[in-house]
Amino acid sequence: MGPEKVMGPEKVRRKILAISSGGGHWVQLCRLRAAFCDCDVVYASVDPIYAEDVPGQRLYIVCNATRRDKFALPVLVAQLFLILLRERPEVVVTTGAAPALIALALAKLVFRSRTIWIDSIANCEHLSTSGALARKFSDAWLTQWPQLARTDGPEYWGAVL
Amino acid sequence: MAAACANRRAGILGGSALIFVTVGSLFPFDRLTRTMDNWAYLHPNEKVIAQVGGSEYEPKHMEWVSKISPGEFRARVKDASVIVAHAGMGTIITAVENGRPIVLLPRRAALAEHTTDHQLHTANWLKDRPGIFVCRAENDLDSMIAKATTAAASEKWSISNAAPLEMTERIRQFIASAPQRSGWRGFLLRS
Repeated sequence: MGPEKVMGPEKVRRKILAISSGGGHWVQLCRLRAAFCDCDVVYASVDPIYAEDVPGQRLYIVCNATRRDKFALPVLVAQLFLILLRERPEVVVTTGAAPALIALALAKLVFRSRTIWIDSIANCEHLSTSGALARKFSDAWLTQWPQLARTDGPEYWGAVL
Repeated sequence: MAAACANRRAGILGGSALIFVTVGSLFPFDRLTRTMDNWAYLHPNEKVIAQVGGSEYEPKHMEWVSKISPGEFRARVKDASVIVAHAGMGTIITAVENGRPIVLLPRRAALAEHTTDHQLHTANWLKDRPGIFVCRAENDLDSMIAKATTAAASEKWSISNAAPLEMTERIRQFIASAPQRSGWRGFLLRS
């Protein structure tokens, strides 16, 4: 195979941002790593200790704004904007929660990325509040519970467990 | 006092735990921390190690740390014979990935232990799974720990550490179908 073939198309690997808040959201995101195998993936979460779950890969840390913590919001928006500006991901994928919803909104409205919202498997009786709001900013709007899926969304593509 | 505390924290790095108590990384959970501290007092022959997050109650009868890294968390789960925890998915997934029985005390929104009652829903969904023992209230903990200990000695179960292939494949294909950016003209993708 000649070198011109090795070069191939200018770019085939998609750049993706995989983002979630901490705890179970992050554990669920990590269970989806196989889906990112042919991408250039950068991660973002709320605690630097998660770096050991994604060795050799970049992990951005953003401030952990919960819905009850309004003061952290402007900082978070600025952090997310800079990450998206620097990485310009073609796809943003998240398992929640609130900080990831803001990332999804910025990615969709400002940077025109493809976006995937995967509502946490913990929400088995109804979608999370962030998940309901994510509808407007999601190209794929997913629940992990078949009984919560509707014809007009959210969709069920499976569960991480 | 501080030295005693430091010793206790240092102690968590060695030894082999029997009971690993964990409340997750986000919110405190004093109801579980306090009940398990009493439990440790009443069971001096059992070794109990607790990760208590931002709980205000300071345990006196069990070793404790406030926060640990995911790697250390997994190591603690593997070392433990029984996990006692809030009904958080991160903890539950880690326990079942490692085939460890887990006793759950769901956080309740009415007690300001979480923003919603989704942990009650999670616990209700999982209550019949092998290896998962759900407490309705903190006074169920003792009997559920006894059940889980028996199960730990007799049963083996665990799951893989990745989502099912069908789901990851569908997401992979969705990502592959996304429009590509090229150069600065791709700054604002048209989709």
